Amino acid sequence: MNTSAYVAGHGWLYRFDPRAKILLMVLLCVFFFLPITLTGLALTVLLVVVVGWRNTGGKNIARVFLSIAPMLLFMLLFSPFNVRSGQSLWSVRSLTIITVEGALQALRLACRFIGITYVCTLLFATTVMGEIMLALRFWRLPYKAALVVTLSFTYIPFIAESFSQISESHRLRESAREERKNYAQRLKDLLPTLTSVLVVALRSIPNLAMSLEMRGLGRSERRTNYRSLDSYTHLFTDFVISIIIVTVLWVLCKA
Amino acid sequence: MQENKNALKIAVTAVLTAVVVVFTMIVRIPTAKGYLNLCDVAICFIAFTFGPASAFIAAGLGTALADLISGYAQWAPISFAVHGLEGLLIALIVRNKAGVEASLLKKILAGIVCMATVTLGYFALSSLFISTAAVAAAEIPGNLVQSAVGFILGLGVSTAVKRAYPPVRFLAW
Repeated sequence: MNTSAYVAGHGWLYRFDPRAKILLMVLLCVFFFLPITLTGLALTVLLVVVVGWRNTGGKNIARVFLSIAPMLLFMLLFSPFNVRSGQSLWSVRSLTIITVEGALQALRLACRFIGITYVCTLLFATTVMGEIMLALRFWRLPYKAALVVTLSFTYIPFIAESFSQISESHRLRESAREERKNYAQRLKDLLPTLTSVLVVALRSIPNLAMSLEMRGLGRSERRTNYRSLDSYTHLFTDFVISIIIVTVLWVLCKA
Repeated sequence: MQENKNALKIAVTAVLTAVVVVFTMIVRIPTAKGYLNLCDVAICFIAFTFGPASAFIAAGLGTALADLISGYAQWAPISFAVHGLEGLLIALIVRNKAGVEASLLKKILAGIVCMATVTLGYFALSSLFISTAAVAAAEIPGNLVQSAVGFILGLGVSTAVKRAYPPVRFLAW
């Protein structure tokens, strides 16, 4: 099971400070909800997609698009019918099916959705999870919350592996009857597997708690600490660039 | 003593969060707006077995992390709010004195609250921030089925785990 959305690369987004990247992501997400022209919104989204393509490659961009394609289809098919007022675009006799405003609103929603998706995805595709955690610590994420997330990431592969092994062993016993089972029976058969996985996971808790104590959790003199993001030396510049990007976009695109 | 308790709380929350992530990511049925999964099984198990605080943090954080890892980052804040609230409400409804099983009425109420929270939560938040009410409504049947199946399986798993691993009651906080 893959526990990271990181895509290895060398583009400028990879060299951008993760702390500034988080700020830029939040500002861009807010920007997509501001009153801006549809053309401006579409061009901004295109710009984000091009930056993503240049940094993470066409394969990653296509994969993200495929994952949101069904939702986009739904949006473009059903959203136009919500707006009943305005100039008729398609009507059958006296009944207006789609208005121009409805079609434009559907396009705006689709652009916004694509924009938010790519902005969020690019942060996680160009930054390793450890650095995102350090950046979140910079933005005042509490120490214990960061520790919980970090520990979870170390336990996910272990629990996922246990799940595969346990479900595999259960399947070996029941392979002959598998094809004739209905959904309810299959769900019922999941119970022993899920129970075994949970017991395996729960048994690891006392050991983990003991390890945390041994490492000095809660003591005034900690034995371990988070490393810093000192390798990124242009924090202030990256902050300024992030704010300038969003401000320029706002000035160019505001309605 | 307080240090021991803090370490245990962090360990419990971290492992339960990882459990929610694994349950969310391992069985996935693609739908129009993402995917259906077993996250509600893990959330209901946590709510029935551990306290409201563990259920809120592990459910919210676990589903949000699963969204981030799977490339559905835009859903992470919504999943955190909806599933966090789901875990919290179920745990508050079925909470009882130690060793006392929740009544059937409480379980039925918890099941209704579970389905209502997931369905209405996703409908309201996604129609507000991501799409429109018409598009968000298309996902209601899927969410209803997922939460109902999750609740029933979660209840069964909770009973089975308490029998198979009795020390679990010492881990609740």
